[in-house]
Amino acid sequence: MNSSFPYLFIFLSLLLLTACDDDVITPATGDTGTVEIEFENVFGPQTNQRSFGLGDTTDTEFPYANALDQPYRVTYLKYYVSEIVLEGPNGERYEEPIDVTATSARGFHLVDATRPESMVFDLADVPSGTYNSMSFTLGVDSTHVLEGAAGGDLDPVDSGMFWSWNAGYVAFKFEGQSPDSPGGAHGNSLVPGTPNGMVFHLGGWKDIEGTVLRNNNQRVTIDFLDRATVNDNQSPTIHLEFDVNSIFDGPGGTIDFGQSNVNMHSPVDATPLIRNATAGFRYDHIHQ
Amino acid sequence: MYRYLLPYFCLLLFACEREQAGPAIDPYTFVSPEHFPPVAYDFDRNPVTEDGFKLGKRLFEDSRLSRDGSVSCSSCHQQVTAFADPQHRLSVGVEDRVGVRNAPGLFNLAFRSEYMWDGGVVHLDFAGVPAIESEVELDNSLAVIVDRLRADATYPEAFRRAFGTDTVTSGLMLQALSQYQAMLMSDRSKYDDVITGRNGAAFSATEAQGEAIFVDRCAGCHAGPLQTDNSYRNNGLDERNVADFGRETITHNPADRGKFRVPSLRNIARTPPYMHDGRLASLDAVLEHYAEGIRHSPTLDPRLEEPIRLTEQERTALIAFLETLTDWEFLADPRF
Repeated sequence: MNSSFPYLFIFLSLLLLTACDDDVITPATGDTGTVEIEFENVFGPQTNQRSFGLGDTTDTEFPYANALDQPYRVTYLKYYVSEIVLEGPNGERYEEPIDVTATSARGFHLVDATRPESMVFDLADVPSGTYNSMSFTLGVDSTHVLEGAAGGDLDPVDSGMFWSWNAGYVAFKFEGQSPDSPGGAHGNSLVPGTPNGMVFHLGGWKDIEGTVLRNNNQRVTIDFLDRATVNDNQSPTIHLEFDVNSIFDGPGGTIDFGQSNVNMHSPVDATPLIRNATAGFRYDHIHQ
Repeated sequence: MYRYLLPYFCLLLFACEREQAGPAIDPYTFVSPEHFPPVAYDFDRNPVTEDGFKLGKRLFEDSRLSRDGSVSCSSCHQQVTAFADPQHRLSVGVEDRVGVRNAPGLFNLAFRSEYMWDGGVVHLDFAGVPAIESEVELDNSLAVIVDRLRADATYPEAFRRAFGTDTVTSGLMLQALSQYQAMLMSDRSKYDDVITGRNGAAFSATEAQGEAIFVDRCAGCHAGPLQTDNSYRNNGLDERNVADFGRETITHNPADRGKFRVPSLRNIARTPPYMHDGRLASLDAVLEHYAEGIRHSPTLDPRLEEPIRLTEQERTALIAFLETLTDWEFLADPRF
């Protein structure tokens, strides 16, 4: 008997066993950890900030005021956070995987002020290391609009963030009331007869020359003042803030509720507000 | 003794192969005709299956998709007229509400990347959503429909067979509708037989004369095997174009005022009335429009500055050619 026969037999058997394996890289223990991301909506600059809460059209108080000292309250606030990237000083880099199917939308987070559970989520399998910045897209990129029907946080049934007649996802929705607003605006939380309404549905995911269609999805980058250390024993929470008042004053300009209280379907007009909102995200602290 | 190894080598050869369909083509598999351009729809994300297709057909024909259960997708899109509206100039929705546009035929949808007369929808999965939500069409919401389907006695099981889960979601519902609509393929007309050399087909002398006129005067816009260049154009129906801004509704650009999608002319003899608002009742009326009816406005398509004037005999020949675009097998296909 040929002595190489058993070896060949074993070799081929092994080959057969592994023939269909995908290339799954399973990191050894200690190579990754979990990072919790927490968004908090607040009012005002970090040096003088107040807690934020949604109001209701039956309220009598207008607890906030814009840069022009026009009082307002907020009745609806939602925005998409997607394509999250963490980076560290030693070349660490983590990109949250994106996977959109008809029943799920991994990598897309709809931050909804009415649902506290939507404001905290985990990033799994983050490579061990230290991280000192995070970036994300405020909105839903064209690639993912063009993937078609989607579930999870992109499901139009639950999100209230899908435009059907001019298909695509709204990046950011703000609704509220101000005595300085002429009213007439209506949306998810306001009806046409609601007095002093303000509705800003900020969308747009493609640029088309000579049209109002703009890609308003902005990249937000936040540098941490501290470092987040990630390994199999340490799962930090990165606490980020969004200053709601930033929508009305910032690099895109100052919004006068008397002049501008509706922006729903015109991405070109949404650009200043979404630029302002982009600048309103900031670092707060890290729980190591 | 190496013969003992032979089965291993054979197994290795097949270890990574997926199951292939047999020689007979599964009637519920999407097949792209060879003479068509590349497919736009991503079937990897939503492969057509018999169960998915049948679920999509059931949804398409189910009037519970409308708010009051009175109309379905198929109310305005019927197979006998290539899935256009067989009777109404403008679509009719719940409570007999009259829409603003004529329901176009539905076929070869997997080859398009924009939908609606104004191109506002950019993916087949979303094509039904404006009709579902429009107050003058189904006047409903995806959320209400999903609730109704979840409460139904048999839909969850149909979803399980199609998608492996009996949890009804909007995404799966839209994918089922896409499977059905993507399969509405019209590629078996006489015109197709002639250009592919199938069945020994040839145009008659009249049809051939009509084709020559068509190539000369019409095919600039109604281009290629799909019979459209997928552009948006103002074909001179109105001077002011204020009743319906068309493409401008989407782009807010006055340069797009009164522009509408160039429709495919496939099955055109079966889909009267014509134009986005169904104002022209016959192909004769359409040819009369292009001859004598063009209205000038700033956004009029430059190709129509010069009217298309044909003799009676030329009109007869052109219409004879257009009738070769009727796909009788499609119109009678028992799957649909």
